[in-house]
Amino acid sequence: MKTKLLLPNHFKKVGWILLVPSTLLGLFIIIFDYEFRFLDTKVFTIYSGSGFFQDPVFFGLIKANLTGTLVGILFLTGAIFVAFSKAKREDEFIAKIRLESLLWATYINYGVLVLCFLFFYEFEFLYVMIFNMFTILIFFIIRYYYMLYKANKSLSHEKQSEG
Amino acid sequence: MKNNLKVERAIKNITQEELAKQIGVTRQAINSIELGKYVPSTILALKLSRYFNKAVNEIFFIEEGD
Repeated sequence: MKTKLLLPNHFKKVGWILLVPSTLLGLFIIIFDYEFRFLDTKVFTIYSGSGFFQDPVFFGLIKANLTGTLVGILFLTGAIFVAFSKAKREDEFIAKIRLESLLWATYINYGVLVLCFLFFYEFEFLYVMIFNMFTILIFFIIRYYYMLYKANKSLSHEKQSEG
Repeated sequence: MKNNLKVERAIKNITQEELAKQIGVTRQAINSIELGKYVPSTILALKLSRYFNKAVNEIFFIEEGD
C-alpha cells in the first residue's frame, strides 16, 4: 500500500532509543528543577523579556541553559519517530487504527487540558502547559500500540480455532 | 455489513496469512474483516472479489442500519 507522510519503518527503533531516556530525563529535570551546568551558554533568541541584569533583547544573544531545550527536542524527535513511522507491514487497516488513534489522542489531550484549566491556576498552570506540549504524542502512542496489540491478540485466538 | 469471507476461505482451503499475502494486506486486516470489526475499502473488496472469483455482493452483504 502506498503511504504518504509516514517515516520509514527503521525510524521506529531509533525513536524508542531517543524517547525512553529523554522521557525519564525530562521527568527528572522537571520534578527536581535540574539543569546541567555544562549546558550554560549564550544563545540566539528572537525575543527575550527583561530579566534581573538584562534588558529586553530582540534578535540577539542571551545567557541561557540548554538542558530543557535539548531534552525537549530529543523527546519530540523520538516521539514523532515512534508515532509516525510505518508498520513492518503497512495496509489500510493499520492506517485506520493510526488515524482513529490520532483523533482519540486529540480528544483526550484537550479534554484533560480543559479539566486542568478548571483546576490549576497561576504558577501551577505553567506545569500543565509544559506537560500538555508533550502529552498528545504520548496519548497517541499508547492508544495506537494498544490497538495494534489488541488486533494481534485476536489473531492468536483465531489461530487456535483454526487448529 | 456482513461477509462470508471465512466461508470463502474455507472453500479455497487457504489460511488468513496466505490470503493476506496474496492480497497484499496484513493478517490483522483479514481477521478483523472476518470478525465484522472492519469494513474494507472498495479497493480491498474488489481485490478479494477478484481473488475468489466472485462478485463483491456475493462476499459482502449490507445489513439493516448500514
